[in-house]
Amino acid sequence: MKCYIALVLLNVFINVLCASNPIEEDIGNGRYAIEGRVFPPEELEVGNWQVETRVHVNGGEYIGFIRDDSTFVVRNIPSGSYVVEVLHPDYMYEPVRVEINSKGKYRARKVNYIQTSQVIQVPYPLRMKALSKFRYFQVREQWRLTDFLFNPMVIMMVLPLLLIMILPKMMNDPEAKEDLKQISNLAKMGEMPEMSEMFTSLFSGGASAKASTSKAKQVKKRQ
Amino acid sequence: MGMLSIYLKPNFLGLLKFLNSVNWCIVLFSLINLSECIYEDQIGKFDWRQTYVGRVKFAQFDTVSTAKKIIVATEENVLAALNLKTGQVMWRHVFESASTGNIQLLHVSEKLVTVSGSNPYLVRRWEPATGVLLWEWSLTLQNEEYAEFSEWWVQNGLLVHMLPIFGSHIEVSMYNLMTGQNRGSTSKLPAIWINEGCALSVPYYTCISGEAGSQQILSVDVTSNSVQIINKPLSDLVQTHEGILRSLDGNSIIPAFILNEKKLVIIKNNQFEVTKVALGDTLASVTIADGTGEPMVIQTWSDSSKGFHLKAHSIATGNDIPEIHCTENIVNIPDPEISGTMCTKSAKDQLVCRILVTAADDSLQLMQQEGKILWSREEALANVVAVEFVDLPVSDLDAAIESEFDQKEGSIWAAFSRRLHTQYQQLQALIQSLQRPEGTKEEDTSPLVRDYFNLHKIIVLVTDVGKIFGMDNLSGAILWKLYEPNLDTEGVVMFTRRSARHPPHDAYLTIVGKHEETSNGLIISLNPVRGTLVGERILHLDVQVMQCTILHQTDNEKLHALLLLDKYENVQVFPQFSAPLVENMFLYVAEKNTAKVQGYALTYDGKEVIAQKTWSINLGGDSNSRHRIVKVVAKSPSERVHSHGKVLGDRSVLYKYINPNLVLFVTEGPDPIHKDVVVATCVDAVSGVVAAAQAHRRARALPLAVHTDNSLAYVYYNDKHRRTEIATMELYEGKQRWLAAGAAFSSLASERAPGVERQAYILPAAPTAAASTDTERSLTDKHVLLALSTGAIVEMPWLYLEPRRPVTPSPEQREEGLVPYAPELPLPSEAVINYNRTLHRINSIYTAPSGLESTSLVLATGLDLFYTRVAPSKTFDLLKDDFDYYLITVVLAALILASYSTKYFASRKMLKLAWK
Repeated sequence: MKCYIALVLLNVFINVLCASNPIEEDIGNGRYAIEGRVFPPEELEVGNWQVETRVHVNGGEYIGFIRDDSTFVVRNIPSGSYVVEVLHPDYMYEPVRVEINSKGKYRARKVNYIQTSQVIQVPYPLRMKALSKFRYFQVREQWRLTDFLFNPMVIMMVLPLLLIMILPKMMNDPEAKEDLKQISNLAKMGEMPEMSEMFTSLFSGGASAKASTSKAKQVKKRQ
Repeated sequence: MGMLSIYLKPNFLGLLKFLNSVNWCIVLFSLINLSECIYEDQIGKFDWRQTYVGRVKFAQFDTVSTAKKIIVATEENVLAALNLKTGQVMWRHVFESASTGNIQLLHVSEKLVTVSGSNPYLVRRWEPATGVLLWEWSLTLQNEEYAEFSEWWVQNGLLVHMLPIFGSHIEVSMYNLMTGQNRGSTSKLPAIWINEGCALSVPYYTCISGEAGSQQILSVDVTSNSVQIINKPLSDLVQTHEGILRSLDGNSIIPAFILNEKKLVIIKNNQFEVTKVALGDTLASVTIADGTGEPMVIQTWSDSSKGFHLKAHSIATGNDIPEIHCTENIVNIPDPEISGTMCTKSAKDQLVCRILVTAADDSLQLMQQEGKILWSREEALANVVAVEFVDLPVSDLDAAIESEFDQKEGSIWAAFSRRLHTQYQQLQALIQSLQRPEGTKEEDTSPLVRDYFNLHKIIVLVTDVGKIFGMDNLSGAILWKLYEPNLDTEGVVMFTRRSARHPPHDAYLTIVGKHEETSNGLIISLNPVRGTLVGERILHLDVQVMQCTILHQTDNEKLHALLLLDKYENVQVFPQFSAPLVENMFLYVAEKNTAKVQGYALTYDGKEVIAQKTWSINLGGDSNSRHRIVKVVAKSPSERVHSHGKVLGDRSVLYKYINPNLVLFVTEGPDPIHKDVVVATCVDAVSGVVAAAQAHRRARALPLAVHTDNSLAYVYYNDKHRRTEIATMELYEGKQRWLAAGAAFSSLASERAPGVERQAYILPAAPTAAASTDTERSLTDKHVLLALSTGAIVEMPWLYLEPRRPVTPSPEQREEGLVPYAPELPLPSEAVINYNRTLHRINSIYTAPSGLESTSLVLATGLDLFYTRVAPSKTFDLLKDDFDYYLITVVLAALILASYSTKYFASRKMLKLAWK
């Protein structure tokens, strides 16, 4: 509620501003001014963010600067449709489309490039609020134990190991023991250099053995 | 328990399979995740930015604020504060580049006041310390006609605007600086004697008027309430009857003017007074500064013999002031102009002066009274028009090794002795490098030799004013500069006619431009590494050049000959003895304003090279269609094609139409029904055949286009929907090859038209420049770099611009990796390659390959310069710079240790078992 009152007050303030400067609205030669106020993010409020922030109308065709009371006026604009952008190197602001008709009536709406006829009005004089901070940089991944443990490759290595080593011990099923024996027979540690031989025996022998056991299982199941 | 094992057993393989597929998912995911950007600790590691302000128009010293600075307003419509000690930009405001941003007045007192624009004007008041805008008001003149001659100044806290209407009267208006209220009405001073040759020396407006022979010199204080015209016959001041007036430069404190480039006349007590000060040169830049006590005249000029001169005289006596005298021999300040001065007396009662000098080459120097340059800024670089990346030569040692392996002849003993000799040299170099202490390394950093990955290059930049720079790409340091005042850089082109790969020959670069006055051809040939003139040196042709190119073949000195087609369709070859090498050469000439393109075939008839007109097309339809060419893009001549086709999801191959002679023309013209139309036409520049074309109604073209491989992209503004769109095209031969594999493409033999895939996307921003990345072998993906008006350069993968993006992708298309169609292109902040370093008014992006296939070098020019390198497919050929050598060593050592220890334990266990 407090916030709402503040906003209303602000609105009044802007309106008063406009009222005090009636000459700015229309100079009489069909030139108009786009007015607004920029709300900087809280982190910036102390420094002179006004110098860093620019107001571009139609991609720099007209440029406005922000005053120290954080309002801006872009002047001498003929009637037409304009995209107003507030640019800051670190913070993102949403652009607004401002339409000024030949009678000097203003309408501000959200920029929609896809459905160009869709109108979602926003208040005028403009109130530009910083949406978020630009994320330009990638975060460097740091080495963490949890990352290492939950790495799929590590899981792939560790889980089968667990399955092979621990599970059979947990169960006293003789059949499983037999299987385990088979596996451990296959994986019997030879001499270190004969890795290739070990692998070939593991893959060829293991596969056939497994195939036969699973077949046996199926038969059993059917019974 | 048995049940569990039953469940687990078949699932074991399943789990493995699942894990495997998870792995695939990860690989796929990493492919899709295209947003790649740099890490925060890489800021400034591969990139640099140089900020410029442009040629200084007005400058004033700000001595009021605590941090001393110079406030400048420039021809580029920039208002900036420069640090007095270092010359660095403290703050900067970039105004509109059009006439609406033109700065007319800069006034520094307690606050800073500028007047900018051209009817309507904007008066702004700034805080000089921070650059924050305090207030502004707008001002419109009723009299539009003479508005361009208006003059502005600030007097007694009032803004004075003077509008001379030649032959009639002077209109003077004064405004309250704070409120903009007009103080009284505009006063009109009747003055039928004013003309274009008048000079303003605030607040006096001085003219020479009258009939030849009896000319009068008249002056009026335009701000005084009583109109008082000072009038004197011209012959009283000078002997001649003709008179030319010139105002002084650099904020003179006393109203004065220069008469006939000889005499300095001041206006004192409403009287003309000819001073005794002698001007050093007819082109001398003169100002009157406060010499703390008495006003003094400071003048600078340069001549060909001694270079730069700086002198000062007392205005009362005309005597020399010895403290201000340039003692140093400075040669590189052509046509100096004093932009501002500041003199103070030091504690020892010595005169201390700071003089800001702008030269004809746009450079800005801050000098001390004895001519010592405190700092200088090369403001010419705010207007770069052409850029070329040049390879550095290999080191002497590498060159020796290369020549060793080149020599095939000679006995085995000669080869052996050569080998020993080079090895001795290598040893010497090693010892030398070891002997050199650490500290001295910084001084002689670059013997300017090629590095291992060819990332170190020289960037040659040609600027609008005619100054040519050689820049180190890694540091951005200027290695050499060359100012050629006669070079008109409109449409300038640059060719590397010999790279540094051919020792003992040096690299050779040629710049073809126009002569400033005659607009005939001007050729500058130089060594891009050292910046010295070679070969043709500076050659002024006696004819206008229409088109130029270099030959494909090299002569026996590995030099590519330069071919020029002049206005009368004659061909000139440099050097002339290379003329017999001309064979199968084709040129095209495009007229920008009529959209007419003509093709020429060049042949050598035994005596000279003849250009024969072979084809001609009018891109606008007929000659009075009022179409004009906005952009012409051909393929980069160094571009390679990596693959000739694309493998589709159904395992068939879609062959690309790769025509090296294809040129994209983007034209714009009026249309009776659709207001404006933009037409993009792909023309084969050899045969004149139109390969593809596309029109966009109710659109305006932007001069941005990219053409690489078989893909084209160009940008236009859609007037109907008021948005910027980028249209892309890809040309394909189809699923069958037209030519056998390996056969060379011939434009003259091919009769079939390629299939064209088209698409257009919405670009939710205002782009100002576009370029595609360029790598050595084109193995790496192509990305398009788009510079936006917001000051960001966005790296856009071609995947998003691909015209084959389907609305609803079939499984095959999904497998191929096509992204589903979306009308609006994403512009994520992660893709901004210049992160928060905003670049103002980027007008071109130049890319060059490096020796690393993954990496492309990028230079963006505009008001600022920005250099970086991009890796479109990530740095697949480099280890990441955060690669953990320590971890991998530890892991390897631990694994070896573990394997041997387990072996030991296993054998012990076996032994124990055997004993049981």
